Amino acid sequence: MICPMESHNPEMLVAYAAGELDVEAASALERHLAECPACASLATEQATVWKALDAWEAPPVSPDFDRRLYRRIANEVHLSWWERIVRPFRPVALRQLIPVTATAGLLLMAGLVLRHQGMVAPPQARAETVHAEQVESTLDDLELLRQFAPASSAESVHPNAM
Amino acid sequence: MPCNVVRATVLGAGMALLLAVTAAQPALCQRQNRQEEFPIDRWNRMSPEQREKELAKLPPERARLIRQRLRRYNQMNPQEQQALRERYRTFSEMPPAKQEIIRSRLKEFRQLPVERRPIVHHEVEGLRAMPDAQREGRLNSDEFRGRYSQQEQQIIRDLTEYLPDNGGPRTSPN
Repeated sequence: MICPMESHNPEMLVAYAAGELDVEAASALERHLAECPACASLATEQATVWKALDAWEAPPVSPDFDRRLYRRIANEVHLSWWERIVRPFRPVALRQLIPVTATAGLLLMAGLVLRHQGMVAPPQARAETVHAEQVESTLDDLELLRQFAPASSAESVHPNAM
Repeated sequence: MPCNVVRATVLGAGMALLLAVTAAQPALCQRQNRQEEFPIDRWNRMSPEQREKELAKLPPERARLIRQRLRRYNQMNPQEQQALRERYRTFSEMPPAKQEIIRSRLKEFRQLPVERRPIVHHEVEGLRAMPDAQREGRLNSDEFRGRYSQQEQQIIRDLTEYLPDNGGPRTSPN
């Protein structure tokens, strides 16, 4: 028999441990296992796994398990579109509500403070100082622009100085 | 659980961004408006003491003239003030080089003989109202060249092109 490990066929050993090999193949493999320590080792490990699985007992299913399962499936089918959208975020909203709310609150406060500074300061304090030269320069420009105001303006062409 | 952390991060970041933009927008707009505010409006909002303090930095005669010119401006009717303010705003948004061209030409215009000013003014108004092709034809015509001096032609060309009206300059400022 060709060694299952050397021929890269360990599945044969797994099938043997699971009792899935026919009698003839199992006998041939057992003869090989007596001569091949590598395959024997793997077969022993697999046997241990199977024994452990056989020893495990599934917890008993509650009597109304099926009824509750089918009710949940039915509920799932009848979810509204809004519930389908919101549902993925529901655990987040519950578990992360505090940090998210705190962050949002801080940002809102920062925004309100910025807004407050611009709106409530008294007009005189809010007004930036304008230098007299800047006013003079603006008046110069206004005077120039005014003399060339549209023809409808009475001031055009012959302006009074501003 | 890591999936929940990702969801929480995405949700939190989205909310934070939305709130930050909503909250900061009025302040930003207000700051921008203040930056573009008409200098004379800002001057008028200063306290009398502040205004006098600023004027005191200039020679008395110059300060007196500024007071006088401000008084005239403040006595203009609101519609005229608004039109002028709009014109100034468009002008002040132009590149400095173009502003300087307009200033120079308007100063030259002011130096023209009194009887020539209405003629030049009328020509500019007419050209600004014309379609491009017609205006080009007029500017290159013998009649135009024969009617105006070299200096007047330059004034007319530049003012036709760059002078802002309440709707902005006739052509793009750039």
